[in-house]
Amino acid sequence: MIGILLAKFRMFIRNPFVFVLFTGMSIGFALMVGGTGGASTIHVPVYAEDDSVKDSFIGEKLKTNEAYSFNWISEEEMKEQISNGKAEAGAILSENDFQIIVGVDSANASMIEETIRGAYVEKLRQEQILEASNAESESEKEKVLEELEAAKNSPAFTIKTSSLGGSDTVVYDNTFHSLFGFTLFFVIYTIAYNLLPVLIEKKDGIWDRMILSPVKKWEMYVANLIYSFFEGYLQVLIIFLVFRYWVGVDFNGRFAETLLLLMPYVFAIVALSIFLTAVTKTVQQFNAVIPIVAVSMAMIGGAYWPIEIVESKILLALSKINPVTYGMEVLNGTAVYGYPLEELLYPISILLLMGVVLTGIGIHLMERRHV
Amino acid sequence: MLELVDLSKKFKQIYAVKNLNMFIEKGEIIGLLGPNGAGKSTAISMLTSLVEPTDGDVRFHNKSILKKPAPLRAVIGMVPQEIALYDDLTAQENLQFFGRIYRLKGAVLKKKIDEILELIGLTDRRKDVVKTFSGGMKRRLNIGVALLHDPEVIVMDEPTVGIDPQSRSYILETVKRLNAERQMTVLYTSHYMEEVEFLCDRIYIMDKGDLIASGTKEEIKRILSAEKTISIKADRFNDTFIDLLEQNPTINRVVAEEKEVTIITAKETNLFSDLIKMAEDTGIELNSVDVKTPTLEDVFLHLTGRALRD
Repeated sequence: MIGILLAKFRMFIRNPFVFVLFTGMSIGFALMVGGTGGASTIHVPVYAEDDSVKDSFIGEKLKTNEAYSFNWISEEEMKEQISNGKAEAGAILSENDFQIIVGVDSANASMIEETIRGAYVEKLRQEQILEASNAESESEKEKVLEELEAAKNSPAFTIKTSSLGGSDTVVYDNTFHSLFGFTLFFVIYTIAYNLLPVLIEKKDGIWDRMILSPVKKWEMYVANLIYSFFEGYLQVLIIFLVFRYWVGVDFNGRFAETLLLLMPYVFAIVALSIFLTAVTKTVQQFNAVIPIVAVSMAMIGGAYWPIEIVESKILLALSKINPVTYGMEVLNGTAVYGYPLEELLYPISILLLMGVVLTGIGIHLMERRHV
Repeated sequence: MLELVDLSKKFKQIYAVKNLNMFIEKGEIIGLLGPNGAGKSTAISMLTSLVEPTDGDVRFHNKSILKKPAPLRAVIGMVPQEIALYDDLTAQENLQFFGRIYRLKGAVLKKKIDEILELIGLTDRRKDVVKTFSGGMKRRLNIGVALLHDPEVIVMDEPTVGIDPQSRSYILETVKRLNAERQMTVLYTSHYMEEVEFLCDRIYIMDKGDLIASGTKEEIKRILSAEKTISIKADRFNDTFIDLLEQNPTINRVVAEEKEVTIITAKETNLFSDLIKMAEDTGIELNSVDVKTPTLEDVFLHLTGRALRD
């Protein structure tokens, strides 16, 4: 087994181009699609029928939002931007009410609505407090508001909501999503193309030579599994290290956990690749199947866009048997939502189960030899 | 030493090998001859315990190896039809890899590698990556790898496919040397009858999964003792001429190629004047008419009605 591993590593060092290509593409796409730094703000066009709304409590509240950049423009411009796809959603604001105009039914649309509603709710509360205080003159009202602000700054207890985009509401973050999505997507290729030589070795008779030698069958399989796992994991490690130390993504302080909890996903993809190597009989078939499988898994599993925006029941059902879905769940759960390990046991268990089942079926099918 | 008894292999509804009986004695060079698709590779895959037969048995020193192949695997060296080497490794690294899987280590492995490189004439290319080798060099290394553990039996599946005449000659001489100097038993499959004729003591001929002839070269050629082969050459032939040959009751077989027609006829038949007349009648300008000594190719033609390389 050591001999097989040594030969594989030697060949990897001599010919690392596929690995470098997919690692580079993964980093490149994540950078291009996700942006390069921390939390990105999302542009939201807003229009107010009454100009005073802009300078009112609502206007001030929206201006200080960290996650979204609310830009005041005319109603026509806003509608044009939404219909052109330059903005996902916009809002028409009045003194006591608002209207959301949605162009793309994305995770952000509902979060924008939540943010604006939050501002109106806060305004209403403030008005109710002022009313209850019986303050009549402007100076009395200001005094009440100052006391209210002071009370808010030193609360009896704190409820904190946080997200990558800001501290006001939960936000879908493009940088993390792209980084995780493209990493999980491209690592499928790296791992699969590392198992492709098994097919070639079988066709060329190298496996026959090994079968006739004192090397045990399990050693041949385990050596290939270990090697593919190593290369897949090395790729993920390099990508995450680049983003952590070069781009500056801090993984919300859970970098080590993120890397550790990615192992079940890499294992599941190694197993899936063994399965695909077993069901395809030729290199040509394998080369045709891999892009189809990788792209559809990434689409259904939420690597390109959040799974939350998918509405089709069929696609959602398919996502339940897709390792990418659970890989994204583990990564988002760890780095974005900061879930403890217990919360992540479900997706981790599914990934491990997929790994064991697909490895078993794959090896069984490979053993059904054809001359 | 090694026996195949009523060996068959069926894939779905088709027999790749049907009731094959063969024996190989120690120190022999045995040829397994047949066109592509004859079942040679399936037969040797079963013989080497790589494929389980549908029926029959493989015996090594009178013991079946179907359930316990280890004793045979320990003494067998396999040269697959494909180049079973790592292209990105050097010749030496390939030999190291395959030596290690045979549990050879350290000085023993190093000595063995030197010896094999010398035998296959690649000592000066030992540090070159295999993908830079010519087809012939790859084929030689392919054989070298199978010799690392000093096998008693070497099974070679068409080891000279697609190489130049010099490399082919080098390989054939190497096989002869291995047999003469190390008393290595060789099972050599090919669809080149001249290779089998040059190398082998005994020959088995297969076609479409069946064994159609077996014996020494002389025994097999004796199948044609009552017939003779005539080769007719011309710049071109036409259908009328071929039809006339096929309709002639004294001609047993006709195989037409672009510039050569081979016919098999009874030994006592004198066709010379008839052939000249047929050529004149059909407008064919003959270049030569030769009566040939029977070859294995002719035997195959006689038995199947097809040329070996069809």
